[in-house]
Amino acid sequence: MEIYLPIAEQSMNVFILLGLGAAAGLLAGMFGVGGGFLATPLLIFVGIPPAVAVASQANQVIANSVSSLQVQWRRGNVDLRMGLVLLLGGMIGSSAGVSLFTYLKRIGQIDFVIAVLYVVMLSSIGLLMLAESLRTYLKRRRNPEAPRGKLHTHYLVHRLPLKLRFYKSKLYISALLPLALGFIIGILSAILGVGGGFVLVPAMIYLLGMPTSVVIGTSNFQILFVAANVTFLQAATNGTVDVVLALLLIMGGVVGAPIGSRLAAKLPGVALRGLMSVLILAVAAELLTELLRTPSSIYSLSTREVLP
Amino acid sequence: MTWRLALLGLLAVLPAAFAVPAFAQRVEPPPASLPPMGGPPDSSAPPSVPTEPTTPELIVDLSLARVSITSAFQGESILMFGMFDPPGEIVVVVQGPAARETVMRKQRVLGLWLNTGRQSFDDVPAYYAIAASQPLQRLLARGAGGEILSLEDRLSTIKPATPRDSAELAKFRSGLVEVKRQEGLYPAAIGQVTVQAGRLFRVDLPFPSRLPEGIYEVKAYLLRDGKIVAAVSRPLPVGKVGFSAQLAGWSAHEGPLYGLGAILMALFAGWIGGAIVRRL
Repeated sequence: MEIYLPIAEQSMNVFILLGLGAAAGLLAGMFGVGGGFLATPLLIFVGIPPAVAVASQANQVIANSVSSLQVQWRRGNVDLRMGLVLLLGGMIGSSAGVSLFTYLKRIGQIDFVIAVLYVVMLSSIGLLMLAESLRTYLKRRRNPEAPRGKLHTHYLVHRLPLKLRFYKSKLYISALLPLALGFIIGILSAILGVGGGFVLVPAMIYLLGMPTSVVIGTSNFQILFVAANVTFLQAATNGTVDVVLALLLIMGGVVGAPIGSRLAAKLPGVALRGLMSVLILAVAAELLTELLRTPSSIYSLSTREVLP
Repeated sequence: MTWRLALLGLLAVLPAAFAVPAFAQRVEPPPASLPPMGGPPDSSAPPSVPTEPTTPELIVDLSLARVSITSAFQGESILMFGMFDPPGEIVVVVQGPAARETVMRKQRVLGLWLNTGRQSFDDVPAYYAIAASQPLQRLLARGAGGEILSLEDRLSTIKPATPRDSAELAKFRSGLVEVKRQEGLYPAAIGQVTVQAGRLFRVDLPFPSRLPEGIYEVKAYLLRDGKIVAAVSRPLPVGKVGFSAQLAGWSAHEGPLYGLGAILMALFAGWIGGAIVRRL
């Protein structure tokens, strides 16, 4: 069954889009991060213009994070102060990101930048995760009762000025750090259409040293508002948000998420992370091949301009 | 009088011929200017068929008055049909609205392919197709030229927005054709114009699913001894209709409002979706 996507200006099989949404939802359910970082490249693979894929994916991220934020908020797992500092950085970053996106689109380099950023990001995250899960797996085999390390270690970054107390996170750190983190996530969100949870969550744990219990809720808080900002700005400046596409992805996600969380309950964590890292690396490799392979046509057309 | 009888017969038979799946999917009723589907033509004949007993040498009509891009749009095939006074040959030219197109050229830089060159052209037709009842080269070679242009001739008239040396321009021009051809917008060979009984002709015009909007022009020429003796032009509006048109319109003209709507839609869908998932 084909459906015409009014903003992408092409027809596409409904089940492909629902399936993509379900796959992203599956990942979200399994790993607790939004599946945007895999859904966007897959949308591009099936032929959606990258600019539309990114902007519509940001729209989908809103739905994804609002349902999970609801649960986390009720359980009191949101560090509001940390969330607001991250959000401030995120708002500035995403607004700057959309401007950068618009500029890159105008000079015709946006597709290239999206692909390169995805390759860099996915391959580094995939390799880190793969190394981490292998290490854990080997360590467990040798010493199943390994003691956990300190809550977190102190680095140079903890000596920065503008220190703030984050009671819920039991942290006393410089506000500049979450601000900068939020800023970077905001830029990623604007250019890649991802929520950024897969970067934000590890960064909050390892870089800021936040306790895992509040990490998911707080990152969802930041992601929701940043995704809304990106959606608004993309719609207002580039007109690239396809709500039909976003709605199909959301609907697929509703089906995929519970399956993912059920799978996650059955499989051991190490195996899950190993599986995910392989998946991420595969997408990165495919994107890299696209960049390296001689294209079928070296010519392409950018947007038509109807002159007055 | 025989040709009018034949025309009546044609009009009565054609609607039945149109009952192919592509048309059956259409939601909106056929436009008023067309004879009602399945029924005999009523007394108010389509505008291209004069009721006056003047005898034009060329009469044409289209199977659809417009191309409507609905949510189920997958491209469309439109039939142009008509009749002419023999002898002669028929050439049909379909042209989409002209606009500025920018062609990008990729180059390998440090092993990666990225856009390094660009060239804009003005007055590029969104769509261009030409069909004839005889091999086109033969018809045009006999000096029919002038108004009828092959795709190559038509594109040689497009103006580069910025000056460049002609060898480079030619490369970008052929790149433009290459991309447009891939998208089905410059169909290389659209079905030949078929002529029956020496005076009835028909030709299928294929339109792909990624079709730019605007007013297209379908023009039929009657050639005799390499000279244009008659020409009839029909405008063919191409546009989104219904829900797609609404959304595209809001996105283009009410961007901020559309953005707010998209946010609300996602919030609501996420909330409902979450509620469903938690119930399971």
